[in-house]
Amino acid sequence: MDRKELEQKILELVAISYKKNADELSLETSFKADLQGASVQMVALVAEIENETDACVTLQDAAACETIADLVDLVENEL
Amino acid sequence: MSILDTIYAKAKQNPQKVAFPEAANEKMMQAAYEAGRDGYIYPVLLGDAEELRALAGQRGYEPEIFTFVDLNDEEYKQKVIAAYVALEDTRLKEKALARRMQDPLYYAMAMQKVGEVAVTFAGIDNTTGDVLLAGQMMIGLKPDISTVSSIGLCDIPGFEGSEGSLLAIGDSAVCTNPNPEQLADIGISACETVESLLGWEPRCAFVCYSTLGSGQGELIDKVTEAVKIAQEKRPDLAIDGEFQFDAAISPAVAAKKVKRDSKVAGRANVVIWPDLNVGNVAVKLIQQFGHADAYGPMLQGFNSVVCDCSRGAPVSEIKGNIIISAVRAAGMKK
Repeated sequence: MDRKELEQKILELVAISYKKNADELSLETSFKADLQGASVQMVALVAEIENETDACVTLQDAAACETIADLVDLVENEL
Repeated sequence: MSILDTIYAKAKQNPQKVAFPEAANEKMMQAAYEAGRDGYIYPVLLGDAEELRALAGQRGYEPEIFTFVDLNDEEYKQKVIAAYVALEDTRLKEKALARRMQDPLYYAMAMQKVGEVAVTFAGIDNTTGDVLLAGQMMIGLKPDISTVSSIGLCDIPGFEGSEGSLLAIGDSAVCTNPNPEQLADIGISACETVESLLGWEPRCAFVCYSTLGSGQGELIDKVTEAVKIAQEKRPDLAIDGEFQFDAAISPAVAAKKVKRDSKVAGRANVVIWPDLNVGNVAVKLIQQFGHADAYGPMLQGFNSVVCDCSRGAPVSEIKGNIIISAVRAAGMKK
């Protein structure tokens, strides 16, 4: 999976986990300011990432990501 | 009979299987052994079964008290994985689950989710954060509950409340600054916790510095909003507020301040704080000035019981918490 594909995949998984329309999301979307999700949604997102990619990211690391781009970086490092 | 004696008696009537993913830990193994030997639970130890058997022998424990689950037993692991992924409300698929189950904490919680054990007991080697995260991922939160939270059970000498000297309070330990939805969920979870553990009919008061509009301000608005949400979500539960603490627990004060019918005012057995600042200070006040014993925190909001014990806890406290967890788990099965 190249970077572009990974970005698309993560955007799709964020949309599923946070119950958003994928069109509303971009790499700059902030988890805290824009999505205002509870930890439950982050747990769902990490589970989706583990299911759909071979990355094993910790919840602590994922929760520390400010934007979706940060999360893509994190997952890329784990692949 | 003290409250702990009552809970212990309940545990003996219906012992539950409890998984121990930190079984090699000396204090944990001793607490598991004593709880099993005394007939409160059936302890299930996870790890390298050979190593655990040897450790139990060296420590002078009868091995037949324990059930050993070997993390390398591929056949059993596959059985748990198949049962887990077949459940509708689980998140992880086979490959990701198998990877997570290399960690005994996740393995134990997978067993719990599929009903192989009633409860997982951990927190002596893992941090509270580790346990909460594993619980959210593997056990999951109840469908209508938005936050993990906790309650404590206080036994306050000289207090003559609606449950004698006992009062359940929450959240004094986990959810720092709940929004109205989360605060409502803390109250609902607390009602379920006392029902499953103690068989009480919960009467739950949301408290702050105002009684039914006697004060104004955003700190109060959050609480009144939470009461409204909780009542709408669970009209079957006796939930009321906003009350000052004395109006919640004292019939005399409630008679003066609460000028409408309330099943809760003056006789609350569950008190919900507006945030963790209040909750933490309040439990310390109850302990320091009220000379109360405070049991907990008992985690709540999960689909089944998730527990965390303090890493500095002595064996007697760990044993007590194991037994409380087992009784809660038995209560939730009803």
